[in-house]
Amino acid sequence: VRLWRCRCRALLSQPAGALRARRGLAAGPEMHFGFQTVTEEERREKIYQVFESVAKKYDVMNDSMTLGIHRVWKDILVHKMNPCPGTLLLDVAGGTGDIAFRFINYVRSVRQRQLQRKLKHHQNLSWQEIFESYQKEQFNSLGGSQVVVCDINREMLKVGKQKAQHLGYSEGLSWVLGNAEELPFDDDKFDVYTIAFGIRNVTRIDLALQEAYRVLKPGGRFLCLEFSHVSNPLLSRLYDLYSFQVIPVLGEVIAGDWRSYQYLVESIRQFPPQEELKAMIEDAGFFKVDYENLNFGIVAIHSGFKL
Amino acid sequence: KMAAAGGLRRAGWRLWRSRAVVRCQRYPPARALQASAVLRRASDELKKEPLTSSSQQHFDSPPAGHQPEQEPQGPHPSYTGQGGQESEDYESEEQLQHRILTAALEFVPEHGWTAEAIAEGAKTLGLSVAAAGMFHSDGSELILHFVSECNTKLSKLLEKEQKLVQLGEAQKKPIDEFLRDAVEARLRMLIPYIEKWPQALSVLLLPRNIPSSLNLLTSMIDDIWHYAGDQSTDFSWYTRRAVLTGIYNTTELVMMQDSSPGFEDTWRFLENRVADAMTMSNTASQVQSTGEAVVQGLMGAAVTVSNAETSRAVR
Repeated sequence: VRLWRCRCRALLSQPAGALRARRGLAAGPEMHFGFQTVTEEERREKIYQVFESVAKKYDVMNDSMTLGIHRVWKDILVHKMNPCPGTLLLDVAGGTGDIAFRFINYVRSVRQRQLQRKLKHHQNLSWQEIFESYQKEQFNSLGGSQVVVCDINREMLKVGKQKAQHLGYSEGLSWVLGNAEELPFDDDKFDVYTIAFGIRNVTRIDLALQEAYRVLKPGGRFLCLEFSHVSNPLLSRLYDLYSFQVIPVLGEVIAGDWRSYQYLVESIRQFPPQEELKAMIEDAGFFKVDYENLNFGIVAIHSGFKL
Repeated sequence: KMAAAGGLRRAGWRLWRSRAVVRCQRYPPARALQASAVLRRASDELKKEPLTSSSQQHFDSPPAGHQPEQEPQGPHPSYTGQGGQESEDYESEEQLQHRILTAALEFVPEHGWTAEAIAEGAKTLGLSVAAAGMFHSDGSELILHFVSECNTKLSKLLEKEQKLVQLGEAQKKPIDEFLRDAVEARLRMLIPYIEKWPQALSVLLLPRNIPSSLNLLTSMIDDIWHYAGDQSTDFSWYTRRAVLTGIYNTTELVMMQDSSPGFEDTWRFLENRVADAMTMSNTASQVQSTGEAVVQGLMGAAVTVSNAETSRAVR
């Protein structure tokens, strides 16, 4: 532990160059990959390989590392979004579809309540009016909501598609291969853009934020769920201990891949803390940027609006 | 009080603007590309309105909170075109939120005081439905906005009436009629939303909203008494406001379950309550004067007795 701690401290005391690298701005060829220093191209490749190798065991590892709490975090994210039927969601780096499925469930239940209310109202209508409302396809179960899952990694998308088939999600879902720094979508298309535990792996965070701004409709919302900085010193030490001692071991035992989980834990430490990420989101042009700490800062949800 | 609040608001706005300007000067190229999409559109609409009027009116038409007289008119690398003109017309986020809430009010009869109504309102302004995420999901802001708008309308109405009286075009109403008319006018504003109003009342009673809703209620009652000509500086200031608050709240509750045509039962109830309050105040003053008379009588008796004692003692 002491060895990792020293490296951590050494990196944090480095001057502006490292800071810019941390913020995901290209400071020349130097970037971080966990605690290593690599070039931009190398970083992209390494991260692609990491997720390629963990794709099949991704969900199992999530459950075991966070003791299942990641489900609660993702639920909180969708509750905070509070989508109404008819919303178009873009879930970036959403490989295995966790957020997408939760979104569909939420919208479906909201839609059901809406339809129940409408039916109560309709009991006073004539047959002709009821027939006409059916014509207008108002009784669609999702109310026109759609989610596009975009991921840079083919393996993750494959796992996601299999999961969707297995769980029975068919309508309102699309899978697109794309890079968060260069999204294959038109401007002003989506109502909500989410990126859950993905922005850490993006090489140029500022570009990703600019792309998010571009594809959102005016009034659209940006939501980012990500591991963040724990300020409580006691909790921070326990968290470090757990991260560096337990998680890579779990990775080796369950997924047979020590190095990917070492990268995971290091990349969390390298990611900018809450206020810095908030400033970056504001720089991309978002308004009313705010963040909410979950579990004392282990995870934070950042939210911004394109106004 | 109002001037100080206005001054503070302007100072705060200037600080916010200067912060935005400083940030722009630090990252000029990025800001130019990502300059706000929606907020500027509002300024474009405002620019279209005073077509033939002078630039002076152009400065007056945007509402308060917008006075960038000390905005440097020099070259702004961060704003596109038209020199520094654009920078003065950005509306603030609060103003946009106001517009969304105002637009959302027309969907309240259908959807209730919920985030859905706010989402529909945002849609009519050309924004995405996700903009409703700026507000709380239980619709509190929408209700508070509505209440504050009603109070403002009431103030304007009372001010107009007062002006008419001052100009001599109308008679000054007796106090009970004035209070009755003011409360009736204010309650009539609820009529379009009467079906969903009980829901609103329950939301206003949530602990989170009690400070704001209480604030709005007391300021409205204060306004009514001010225009009624109340200039008391003693304890009756409190009793008057308490009495009127009681009248207003009870009448509102009666209105919720009133099904008579044109809410006649409610107005009759209001009339009776105001009459009661008047009698009570008359009785109170009568009691006070009676009390004073009794006390004076007792004092006189005491003085007489003490004089009798001293004269007897002297003798």
